[in-house]
Amino acid sequence: MSSCFRRIFAVAGNTFLEAVRQKVFAVLLLFGLVMVVGANYFTEFSFQEQFKFLKDLGYAAISLTGLLVGLLGAAQLIPGEIERRTILTALSRPLRRWEFVVGKYFGLTSLLAVMVGIMALAVWGVLKWKEVQLLGSEGTDPAVVAAIRAESMDPRLIQAVLLVGVKLAVVAALAVFFSTIATSTTFVIAMTLVVYLIGHLQSVAREQWLETGEAAGWGVRIFLAAVALLIPDFNLYNLIDEIVAGNAVAWRTTIEVIGYSAVYTSILLAAAALAFEGRDI
Amino acid sequence: MGGAIGLLLIWGGAKVPWEKEMTREQRKATYGFSGPTAVAIREKVGQGLALAALGGFRGLAANALMLQAHGAWEEQQWMRVRSSLELATVLQPRVAVFWDTASWHLAWNAAVAAEKYGGEPNETRRRIEARRWVEAGRDLLERGTKAVPEKAILFQRLGDLYWQRLGDYQAAADCYRLALAKGDAPPYLERFVGYALDKAGDSRGALEYFRGLRKTMGNPPDPARRPEVVEREILRLEKKLDEGKIGASQ
Amino acid sequence: MTSAVRTQGLRKEFPLGWFRGRVLALESLEMEVKRGEVFGLLGPNGSGKSTAMKLILGLLRPTAGNAEVCGYRAGTISARRQIGFLPENPYFPTFLSGAELVRYYGKLSGMGGARLEARVVELLELVRLGGEAGKRSLRTYSKGMLQRAGLAGALVGDPEILMLDEPTAGVDPAGSREIRDLILELKARGKTVIFSSHLLEQVEDVADRVIILHRGQKLREGRLEELLTKKSEWEVKVHGLKEDGRKELRAWLENRGAQVMREGAPRDRLEDYFLRSLPEEKRR
Repeated sequence: MSSCFRRIFAVAGNTFLEAVRQKVFAVLLLFGLVMVVGANYFTEFSFQEQFKFLKDLGYAAISLTGLLVGLLGAAQLIPGEIERRTILTALSRPLRRWEFVVGKYFGLTSLLAVMVGIMALAVWGVLKWKEVQLLGSEGTDPAVVAAIRAESMDPRLIQAVLLVGVKLAVVAALAVFFSTIATSTTFVIAMTLVVYLIGHLQSVAREQWLETGEAAGWGVRIFLAAVALLIPDFNLYNLIDEIVAGNAVAWRTTIEVIGYSAVYTSILLAAAALAFEGRDI
Repeated sequence: MGGAIGLLLIWGGAKVPWEKEMTREQRKATYGFSGPTAVAIREKVGQGLALAALGGFRGLAANALMLQAHGAWEEQQWMRVRSSLELATVLQPRVAVFWDTASWHLAWNAAVAAEKYGGEPNETRRRIEARRWVEAGRDLLERGTKAVPEKAILFQRLGDLYWQRLGDYQAAADCYRLALAKGDAPPYLERFVGYALDKAGDSRGALEYFRGLRKTMGNPPDPARRPEVVEREILRLEKKLDEGKIGASQ
Repeated sequence: MTSAVRTQGLRKEFPLGWFRGRVLALESLEMEVKRGEVFGLLGPNGSGKSTAMKLILGLLRPTAGNAEVCGYRAGTISARRQIGFLPENPYFPTFLSGAELVRYYGKLSGMGGARLEARVVELLELVRLGGEAGKRSLRTYSKGMLQRAGLAGALVGDPEILMLDEPTAGVDPAGSREIRDLILELKARGKTVIFSSHLLEQVEDVADRVIILHRGQKLREGRLEELLTKKSEWEVKVHGLKEDGRKELRAWLENRGAQVMREGAPRDRLEDYFLRSLPEEKRR
């Protein structure tokens, strides 16, 4: 059992190391950080709006860089190793194919976790900086001070960061699944992106499928059912918008979405391992 | 491969009811504004695609529109101000500060500019035009109160608008009452209901309102709720109503 | 004792894509490799050598037939534990150093701790990449160094069997000599070595037995001296025979009914000539 973990960690560590030693990920991180810090220079707004703007930009920077890292990273995972033929040496070792798949996934998600973590800290720093600036310029009325503090150090932002993180983890699991059946990196990137986009329409397809009854034709119903059954509902993560808008979101709801993501990720990885098991390398 | 698809389909059968339940709960908590709302399928697809394409950038796009509105305001381009603001509130209907800023631009800034517009010599026409802007601001705020019904701020702003821009003090009092029911209203707002009732000509109602307020303050009264102001207002209204009686009996 | 590798009716077809049929890569291969043997899979490109190796490793699933490694079904963990594999033109993760590569492969084989560290140092010494060379990035390695690093990686789990796909392709003569020496050294240590090559003359020096494949089919099998010895011919190599002696010898041979097929001063192989031209310390 311990050598099983050792092999998974070896694959994960190597995947992580590979990404860290590549410049493209450092450039993406830098891009995200510039976006976060640059947001501080927009001061046309009222202070509530300034904080909202900072949070929006921080969230956008995290999701965009996370999505790019997830797509590029996953494309390199298995098709990249097949193209470079490094996979032959790895899979000829006494290591199970599912261990390889799971290791690759953990390597990618630890990269994502580190990037999300660094950017979340940067967002926090920028909010704190804005707080100091505003406390200097907006005077000392205790109501204003309290309002500024409430905006800058909103504990709900932790929920938002967690939700962004698990959404990216599901995207990464999708990418890993596609990479176990794909022969090219382009296929993985394209398919993951398509599912990501359709995932935001899944709830529409699901409701149509469940509610139309006999009204629609068979073809339409099968199409709607396939979308509903096979694609994750990415609209569940729109809670992030609520939090950024300054509205309360219950922890219970957040944890339920995290649980949904965890189960979905495990299923996708199991499917990936099944698909990879019988594949000719 | 077949096994993988089979597994995904079995899980799909289990997840769909779960997703349905989570969506229902989230919609309940966000008043139907999370994800594509209850509109025709074609619009839903459009909204969903916009959501996906904007991804994490819906907020950014809304902010850009608010910046655009700010720029248009500086150039006194009122139609552009209005369209940018309305689009921002469509993108992020759950952001109270957008409705607030948007209605302020329309009902105050644009309306005042229309009243003073040098290109229109006819004063009546200028007034009609100004009134149209104020009503546009009111309509926007009313939509806002439906999008963010759990917060006091937009009800309070709507009350302010009825009071200051439309002179409808009864409606203002109703709005302030609604705002007070939300729990996060500022403490001074409770007295505004009374002032508005008095302004509306219902001094009797105002007096009863303030007397009722005094009863809720407890003993000794909470100083943050300014009991001395309430006391002063009760005396003033009693005096006014007595004078009114004397006037009526004479 | 079970054989190192045994295949029975091993067959592999590859689909060419939708509605385009299938191509036969290997047809009913029967092959047995004994323990401690150096075994060559010979044949031109596309003859099925790599396919056979990948089937034995379990990287490919057979269309029919089966393969066994030390008595374990091919592709199982126990079977793969017995094999160290060096693929054709291996591409290694170039962001690693030589030592990191060997360590990574060790961890993939489930090794770790001080035992692995000692093994990394030992193997890098064996393939003469010890010291500074092992700490450099693989990006800076020559083809021969890469091949040796790969060999060290293949050896890390101390496998019974070494499987080398075209180990000398693209490597210069000195480099291939080093690899051939390593194969012989491994044989001396009791390992089984299976390798493939399309450069037939390289095989002569090292292989005990060979299989010759062509378009997926086995053409010949056997011990190299048996296959290559032309039993109806005889060759004598002499030193110091003068012109009149040669004439006399030819006449004597013709008297005996033998037909002289070739005669003359032998030429050296260019590779041997090159190796002899190197200074003594660089030859080994």
